[in-house]
Amino acid sequence: MTADSTSTLAEILLDGVSLGAVYALVALGYTMVYGVLGMINFAHGEIFMIGMFACIYAMGTFSVFWGDHVFVNLGLGILVAMCFSAAYGYANERIAYRRLRKAHVLAPLTSAIGLSTFLQYFIFLTVSKQTVNFPRFYSDWLTSNHLHLGPVDITYLRLAILGLTLVIMAGLFYLINYTRLGIALRATAQDQFMAGLVGIPVDRIIAFTFILGSALAAVAGVMVSMYTNVLVFNAGYRMGLKAFTAAILGGIGNVPGAVLGALILGLTEALTTLKFGSQWDDVTTFVLLMLVLLLRPRGLLGERVADKV
Amino acid sequence: MNSRWRPYFLGFLGLAAITFPFLWLQLAPDFTNDTVKVAWTPQHGFQFFSDLSLVFIVAALIWLGIQANRWSGLGQVLREHWLSRQAARHWQLYWAWVAMALVLTGPGFLNPSSLSLLTDAGIYMLLALGLNITVGMTGLLVLGYAGFYGFGAYFFALTQQNLPWFSWWLAAPLAFVFGGMAGYLLGLPCLRLRGDYLAIVTLGFAEAFRELMRNLLYDPEDTTPHSTLVRQLLVIFNTGGDQGISLNGKFGRLAGLSSDQVAYLVTALVLFLAVFLLQRLYHSPVGRAWIAIRENEVAAAAVGVPVVQMKLLAFSLSAAVAAVAGVIAGAKDGFVSPTLCEFQQSIMVLAMVILGGLGNSYGALLGAALLYLVPEYLKFLPSMIGGNPALNAIVPSFIQDSLQHLSDYRLLLFGAVMVLMMLYRPQGLLGSARRKTEMQHT
Repeated sequence: MTADSTSTLAEILLDGVSLGAVYALVALGYTMVYGVLGMINFAHGEIFMIGMFACIYAMGTFSVFWGDHVFVNLGLGILVAMCFSAAYGYANERIAYRRLRKAHVLAPLTSAIGLSTFLQYFIFLTVSKQTVNFPRFYSDWLTSNHLHLGPVDITYLRLAILGLTLVIMAGLFYLINYTRLGIALRATAQDQFMAGLVGIPVDRIIAFTFILGSALAAVAGVMVSMYTNVLVFNAGYRMGLKAFTAAILGGIGNVPGAVLGALILGLTEALTTLKFGSQWDDVTTFVLLMLVLLLRPRGLLGERVADKV
Repeated sequence: MNSRWRPYFLGFLGLAAITFPFLWLQLAPDFTNDTVKVAWTPQHGFQFFSDLSLVFIVAALIWLGIQANRWSGLGQVLREHWLSRQAARHWQLYWAWVAMALVLTGPGFLNPSSLSLLTDAGIYMLLALGLNITVGMTGLLVLGYAGFYGFGAYFFALTQQNLPWFSWWLAAPLAFVFGGMAGYLLGLPCLRLRGDYLAIVTLGFAEAFRELMRNLLYDPEDTTPHSTLVRQLLVIFNTGGDQGISLNGKFGRLAGLSSDQVAYLVTALVLFLAVFLLQRLYHSPVGRAWIAIRENEVAAAAVGVPVVQMKLLAFSLSAAVAAVAGVIAGAKDGFVSPTLCEFQQSIMVLAMVILGGLGNSYGALLGAALLYLVPEYLKFLPSMIGGNPALNAIVPSFIQDSLQHLSDYRLLLFGAVMVLMMLYRPQGLLGSARRKTEMQHT
């Protein structure tokens, strides 16, 4: 996401916030899985990428069935993308994690990396070896209309990203803190064995965590593909790296922390783009990650986690 | 439906459903009003499966072999026969010398293209050996190993560029030292933390390093007002961006050997040295400490193993090995570019170590040889079959097709191999029973 050199600081900041919102959606998936399993879900970036592609596949299918209706197709496309990503997330859990839950840390990590490589090249070989453009027909209305707010122009897309992220965050907050499911989730995160003893279906809760995170990643995927207009098989790898950095920054395993970390990362990146140019994004991200690990290894909002023996 | 097969059947249906659009439908951009349509293209999906047919056949054969072995107990009988025991004993005594003699006389009977392929394989073997120190012996996952490989290569290329007399035999030991220092500095902040942080940090390091090398580009026509110091630095650290650096300091001719042969021999000698030293190290207190950390970090710390120091040692040693491999690669190709430190490289080396057997040097060598040489030689097979009328008649055309396209599917298969190995044979091809129990239960 590049910024015009003439844009005002306010616009840059807004850019950073919306970028951060997208990172937050992906980072939540990392942080929730880590919170429950204590493992990094390496294939999460690829789930995000699947969401991108599932959306345009769905829109293409609908347009064959009942013609081009921007909002119907886009809305349903996002829903289908969420379902697809959720299915891939579930498959990821079943294939790469469930059987290896009691194994050495290296085992699930390796199998997830294998799965992520597999998914990348599956899309590379079956969908497209080059980049695919997001059809402008669907994104035009969102990207070309502006809302004038004092000195800044906000595109509807950015508003949609921010609004959607806020709604999702609120929903997630409610889900985790005030529902039976949320209680079960937190109990499983605290102690799987004890949670199982009191009758919580631990396997299903873990699967649900993967499904929820994946659906959020799909939303982020659609938003990013509309924003950058580009879909490519390895988009998830870079996004995964960024979102993971955000999750660590906020304290991995901590839901509000992931959002905070994502916002900080987004702002840092927007400022880097302004100051040095967008090609230095990755270097800044990495420097930020190293600094956090050096100065505050548990992240900004992280608690001390004892090593499991 | 038999209840034993039910989950497999359901899983298969589920996978078929979620992969359906990507396999059987194609995106067809509609440029008139910039929208998108999908088209039903079954031939696309069939192509995918027919390209992979060879893999399915080989996998089925392996599975049948395993079943037959389990049923007949042939492997057990063979292993316990006194002749094979005798052979194994002698093999252990002499094999290293036999292998060494075979490898070192290689330039005598190999053609240049094979020599070059084998040199590349040797470089991958060196990388796999180095990665095996962390992933295999110490149980630390490193995902950005290619970053250190690139570090070595760029270290050589940049010094070469500024000091033309700087040659590879000077660069290799220095790269070892500096690579180790880079590993030390990178490991210092994250090795104190949980193991998976290291994976991500190294991944980030490789990515950041690659971006740095891509962006450090000195453009003489660049009019940005830099201070003289910055300009000077840019000239010194000019990596040529995506184009990379061409080197003059290649392996030269030496004592009547061509530069290909020199490259091959140097790689082979470094490899022998590395295997020898690492084997000694693994059987020393340091190696024992690494294994203890791998098996149970808390217990290791409790019996007095200096966990952080040992991890740092393993990590910087492995980085140093990668840097040496980078120098060799740079001096062999005479060319260094950012593609050296791509993520795919790291994944490939990791797949080699995992396939061969985590924590086993010979496993790493075997994995590297298999995963690099098999796809490379598979590329030659189609033209060989096509050129021979008898073979051309026997081998079905879809298999020939499959051979032709298989190299595209390389990384897809690496991914699948990593998942399947973790699920069914976590100790790798040459792994021990001990390693298996370690991987399956904590």
